[in-house]
Amino acid sequence: MSSPATVASLRTLRHRRLALVLGSLAALVVVLAALGLTLGAASLTPGRALLAVVGVGDAGDLFVVHRLRLPRVAAALLAGAAFGLAGALFQSTLRNPLASPDILGIASGASLGAVTVLLGLGLTGAAVSAGAFVGAATIAVLIWFFAWRQGLHSIRFVLVGVGFAYLASSLLAWMLASADQRDAATALVWTVGSVADVRGPALTVLGVGLVVLAAAVAALARWQGPLALGDDHARGLGVATDAARVTTLLVAVALVALATATVGPLAFVALVAPAIARRLVDDGGPALSVSVATGATLVLAADIVAQHGLLGVSAPTGIVTGLVGAPYLLWLLATHERRSRA
Amino acid sequence: MLTSPQVTSSDAARLVASRARRRVAACVVALGALTLVVVASLVLGVREVSPAVVWEALTAPVAGDVDHQVILGQRVPRALVGVCAGLALGVAGAVIQGVTRNPIADPGLLGLNSGASLAIVCAVWLLGLTAPAQFVWFAFLGAAAAAALVFSIGAGQPVKLALVGATVTALITPMITLVLLRDQQAFNLYRFWAVGSLTGRGLETLAVVLPIIAAGAVLAAGLAHRLNMLALGDDVARGLGQRVGMTRALAGLTIVLLAGSATALAGPIALVGLAVPHAARRLVGTDYRWVLALSALLGPVMLLGADVIGRLVLPGSELEAGVVAAAIGAPVLVAVARGRKVAGV
Repeated sequence: MSSPATVASLRTLRHRRLALVLGSLAALVVVLAALGLTLGAASLTPGRALLAVVGVGDAGDLFVVHRLRLPRVAAALLAGAAFGLAGALFQSTLRNPLASPDILGIASGASLGAVTVLLGLGLTGAAVSAGAFVGAATIAVLIWFFAWRQGLHSIRFVLVGVGFAYLASSLLAWMLASADQRDAATALVWTVGSVADVRGPALTVLGVGLVVLAAAVAALARWQGPLALGDDHARGLGVATDAARVTTLLVAVALVALATATVGPLAFVALVAPAIARRLVDDGGPALSVSVATGATLVLAADIVAQHGLLGVSAPTGIVTGLVGAPYLLWLLATHERRSRA
Repeated sequence: MLTSPQVTSSDAARLVASRARRRVAACVVALGALTLVVVASLVLGVREVSPAVVWEALTAPVAGDVDHQVILGQRVPRALVGVCAGLALGVAGAVIQGVTRNPIADPGLLGLNSGASLAIVCAVWLLGLTAPAQFVWFAFLGAAAAAALVFSIGAGQPVKLALVGATVTALITPMITLVLLRDQQAFNLYRFWAVGSLTGRGLETLAVVLPIIAAGAVLAAGLAHRLNMLALGDDVARGLGQRVGMTRALAGLTIVLLAGSATALAGPIALVGLAVPHAARRLVGTDYRWVLALSALLGPVMLLGADVIGRLVLPGSELEAGVVAAAIGAPVLVAVARGRKVAGV
């Protein structure tokens, strides 16, 4: 049945589908980005917005586009890509659709680490990302340590994460209150997450970090397929499973830390984006590249809704992602048993 | 209790007596702790007032004295709110754990408290209600709706139920934030009724809620025997002549009344109802008559204690009681999730 010709044609089909999915998502991103650049208090036509992007137009247009809207769109795209990729890595490595850094408390750990560096040590820039990484990694190790009991039961693993999320957010509230940061915007970024106030340097850190980590993921990607088959098969195919898993998780934690240090914990993006991606590609694989695209699309769309879609209120981005993601998680939990029995 | 031939009846009697002594001792110690926490809550704070002045304010208040005004106008209501909300949360937690036979249950963790919050905020926003006597009723509606949602999805598995509750909270919290962003009046009201803080509630809310908490506590006390039988399993309870459905319905009513009242008083506070019954079981065993009684004492100790700690950790400022309570309760949650009882899930 599976003659070489059939395999080859299947592979072509798969590649064609992947290209189609990525192409459609890219088109969607362009449309959304155009929306993000034109909508707002100072409304611009798409043409004027586009000209302003390349530096043509009057001072007002240039200011609005370059200072206000372009950084916001870019932050949404980069952070969404990072969360999407991180979520896909977590879910494929732990083989659990519930394993998302925000449910596991890892995002809260990243917030806590970032705020500690920012307010406690008074540092900015890449140091904040480093702090977020340390915080996220610490929480990850703690969860691993406490959830382990003759194996890693998936839902208990998640519940231990919920416990640590409570702990981390309490400490976060204490940090924010003791630093006397009464600025509501600062608090919102660290508790809900928002792409509204990301400025140039932070954007650069996010962009460069994302490229570096994405390269690392590409280097690790040849392990992802075997790992998804289970430990025994992967070992049989010559993969050092434990090392591969730990390295992959470290990269995923770094991605979460990087994004959280810049835009805060955008709830459930890392949970939902890979799920959509897997459904779009539907080849049983981890769908890493598509998760990047769905993550970016999701956050950009969520931010546009947060800014303009909620009856005249400008809300932080994380609110919209939370409202979209939580029902999906409920559905996942409601059907979890049925699927695991099937 | 089975008595083997080797155990004489006097031995058994001594065993029962020693256990009873232990239970009474636990309750006395809890009562002592409660007194201590209430005194600390009255004496400690941003404004330094000596215990003697506190006593003076309580026994012979002077009309114009600022210290006396602080004590009577702020700290006494705050202590009362802490005691009542803590009692409601502790008892609600014990009932919810008993009726679901689930060690990871708590009105906050299961989303009841955030449901109540959302209902209150929506009532303020859509109906323009401002008096606690009016919007308090919506708290029960919200708590009941959240309970229905969480139990319909997560019933059966302890860990899953808790996870569904956490997710419902994650769904409701942004909704509350949205309403607050939209509606200035709701926001102003909510700010004084800030998440998980015991300050700023006047005595009028307490006056409305107190009879309901009392009713809930009485209901819970009446349920103790039924919960003991239910602990043996539905079939055994039914065999002992219990109408299990009735027990569930009464327990549900009790939980909603208590969780709704606590939220109307103190905002959505999580993990007090989780940690307190576990501590109570450690001290007095599994008999729900004692677990409920001790939870009613330890709930206020934990919540008011968290409030006092919140005043001390930030010099010159304060941390909400709910935040501190969550920090204390989180390790308990982790420990229980690790526990053998849920290991087989």
